[in-house]
Amino acid sequence: MVAGGYFGRALVVDAGTAAASVLPLSDELLRAYIGGAGLGAWLMHALGPPGVDPLAPEAPLAFVFSPLVGTPLTTSAKFAVVAKSPLTGMLNDALSSSHFAISGKLTGYDAIVVRGACDRPSALLVDGDGARLTDAADLRGLPAAEAERRLRERLGRGWRVAAIGPAGERGVRYATISHDGRHAGRGGLGAVLGAKRLKAVAVKAAAKVAPADPQAVLVAARDLRARSFGPATAKYRELGTLANLLAFNAISTLPTRNFQAATFAEAPRLAAEELAEMRTVTRNSCASCTIGCEHIYRARGGQRARVEYENVFALGPMCGVSDPDAVLAASGRCDELGLDTISAGGTIAWAMECAERGLIDAPWLRFGDADALIRALDEIGARQGLGELLAEGTRRAAQRVGGGSDAFALQVKGLELPGYEPRTMQAMALGLAVNSRGADHNRSGAYEADLSGDLDRLAGGRRHVAAAVETEDRAAVMDSLILCKFLRGVFSEPFDEWAALLSAVTGWDTSGAELRQTARRIVLAKRVFNLREGWRPQDDWLPDRLLSEPLPVASGRVATLTPERLRDMIDGYYSARGLDGEGRPDQSSLADLRLA
Amino acid sequence: MSTTAGIVLAGGRSSRMGTPKAALEWHGSTLLRRTVGIVSRAAGGPVLVVRAPGQALPDLPPEVDVVDDPTEGLGPVQGLAAGLAAAAGRAEVAFACSTDLPFLHPAFVRRVLRAAEEGADVGLPVARGYPQPLAAAYRTTLASVAERLVTERRLRPAFLFEQCTVTRLDEAALRADPMLAALDPDLDSVVNVNEPADYQAARARPAPEITIQRFGALADGHRGPQPARAATVAGAAAAAGLALDGHVVAALNGDQITRDGQVPLVTGDTVFFLAADAGG
Repeated sequence: MVAGGYFGRALVVDAGTAAASVLPLSDELLRAYIGGAGLGAWLMHALGPPGVDPLAPEAPLAFVFSPLVGTPLTTSAKFAVVAKSPLTGMLNDALSSSHFAISGKLTGYDAIVVRGACDRPSALLVDGDGARLTDAADLRGLPAAEAERRLRERLGRGWRVAAIGPAGERGVRYATISHDGRHAGRGGLGAVLGAKRLKAVAVKAAAKVAPADPQAVLVAARDLRARSFGPATAKYRELGTLANLLAFNAISTLPTRNFQAATFAEAPRLAAEELAEMRTVTRNSCASCTIGCEHIYRARGGQRARVEYENVFALGPMCGVSDPDAVLAASGRCDELGLDTISAGGTIAWAMECAERGLIDAPWLRFGDADALIRALDEIGARQGLGELLAEGTRRAAQRVGGGSDAFALQVKGLELPGYEPRTMQAMALGLAVNSRGADHNRSGAYEADLSGDLDRLAGGRRHVAAAVETEDRAAVMDSLILCKFLRGVFSEPFDEWAALLSAVTGWDTSGAELRQTARRIVLAKRVFNLREGWRPQDDWLPDRLLSEPLPVASGRVATLTPERLRDMIDGYYSARGLDGEGRPDQSSLADLRLA
Repeated sequence: MSTTAGIVLAGGRSSRMGTPKAALEWHGSTLLRRTVGIVSRAAGGPVLVVRAPGQALPDLPPEVDVVDDPTEGLGPVQGLAAGLAAAAGRAEVAFACSTDLPFLHPAFVRRVLRAAEEGADVGLPVARGYPQPLAAAYRTTLASVAERLVTERRLRPAFLFEQCTVTRLDEAALRADPMLAALDPDLDSVVNVNEPADYQAARARPAPEITIQRFGALADGHRGPQPARAATVAGAAAAAGLALDGHVVAALNGDQITRDGQVPLVTGDTVFFLAADAGG
């Protein structure tokens, strides 16, 4: 008997033929990996050929649901997209949310895995009748949102669509997959779908799944809903994540001009507090969410853009651009093209520095030039001009350009850094260095420790290691259940509380201790996948700029992150994770992963 | 090893005050907690409190080390000997002071420390008419000299100064530091409280002038920097209508994040209040 909240199976579809097979997922396996990012990691181990080119037909890409999807638990309508990243060559999972999660799961599968490639532009449809392909030639070149709209119009009621934009079609290595305006953003999963010549995946609910204890789930949902209106989520409700911008600027953690500074004098022009007053603003929520973090602004000219901290950081201070209309326009352009804003902004900022140093011939590309920012985005989306180079991301581009430009290519494992300055957030520095996805703020939330007041954020040490491990473990569970990370502040005993939720849904007698073990398993499974795909010890490291250029902060102190300090923290992390000195697990810990 | 340490001598008898000075309240904190916090801000390295054997102390931050005087009642050179010995090996230079300096400013501590960092064995301020050995910088290698003087019962700091190089910092030299001149122009840093009247006078003075700024959802209509008076982070939070908890933290002068409401504030400080949850 399958546990509550699950169907106990994945649908594996060949995009070349639409032939589908069912992969049974045992209770034991589901309990070990839960769903979402965790189950996705296992699926990549099981279905991904070792060493496969992420853009090759045989590379799998999975839409993975989770046991909580479809319950009334707030923020649970989320799904993970998982594949080997064309940007990093490592395991990549990216989350998105809303109705696609619910309809996708209610196709009757805990995951939909796509392999192979179509011979013409197509869309994959999955419903109660299984999988089939439909021609999508008319959707070519469209923004994802428009493709989604047209496909839903064509298919009729009940269909939900995840689609790629032009960047995904053209293989930009940081192209996104989006649904209802929300992106599975990081790591280039849109390029993986594009390489399969799939413009979109559409799903329609056809089955039902019940929790093991509906009454307990209802009670928990009411409680969680009430807590979700409290102070832990006020920031997200009232101003959205952009509220970070001014605060980060004040504490020297706002990466500016390709991490050459950590404060941006013109930050107030881009602040949520200013934009909220000056621009028409609308709030929006994902399905099944009571937080409502989405803040949508209207730029001069009428273009609407979802505004979050990361896209404003990456397209604003990171590129030295302070005109709010330009940043909103650039953000909207990324949405249209289907580009990860963090990698796009990071790559353009690197190119701006290269241009200023004379390493690339692009005299038009300068920090602070808003027109240049938009032009660069367009060239990336079209893979034309300089865009052909920049579509590869900073790591590959720096390898081609040379001239020492890798020292200021702000990436880890090929993934561009998010808007958290590692020199002034040294727990986060460790999290960014060792995380399996690369420089990532969602799978490693160690910035929480830096901002907690419990440790010196400018002097990384063993306490920072413990914080990095803990936050990585918490993320592993939240991303597998899946619950939105913005809810995390409402849990006082998170592992125990999550275990209670999971038990009510599944019927398992899950404990907090078991979930801690599950978290470690998921983190290790990701690392083991990367090892299989060629990870080297030097991949757990930070760019030279962060380790060689001290950073003065407002108080007069100078933030320094030395290679020795980072090495010491990484060694501590390896020890805490039961890894050897080179970051590799021993055989006994591999047995627990159930990968055979 | 280039770290500087702080040493706060809390073991005096407080006989003229009639009550232990370390525990005296000043604008929401104790004199000892305040002095320790200010020295800590400027020193950057370890902070030690030297107390009389078994002396009860008010609450201190967990990272502060408490050192016992081996013998009670031998005065400041004994305390210096104990403190410098405990700091030796962890810092080359230490700022040593008494516990009763409610107006001590980190800019003063930094200026005095610089004198010893530049080579002198002692950086000795001469301010408000007197040398200030209990608001001075000492090379930690002087521990053995101080211990010998204690053994010889030569218990005045002047005996120590006879045996080492001393850079005397008169008021002009102190005020040559633009930061100190701006933030403590009257050199109130060395004003101590010995008698009840001194204490009452100190209490009558208002809390330091600071600036507060609230960010994001905490701003609640109060955008931009705003003046306030507060001697602690908790006082600043109260002035902002906030309470430090799991969701609200403070950043002092854009540097350390804290939830510790007892962190002392001085004139010129800026306290940012921000949401502890930075997810984005």
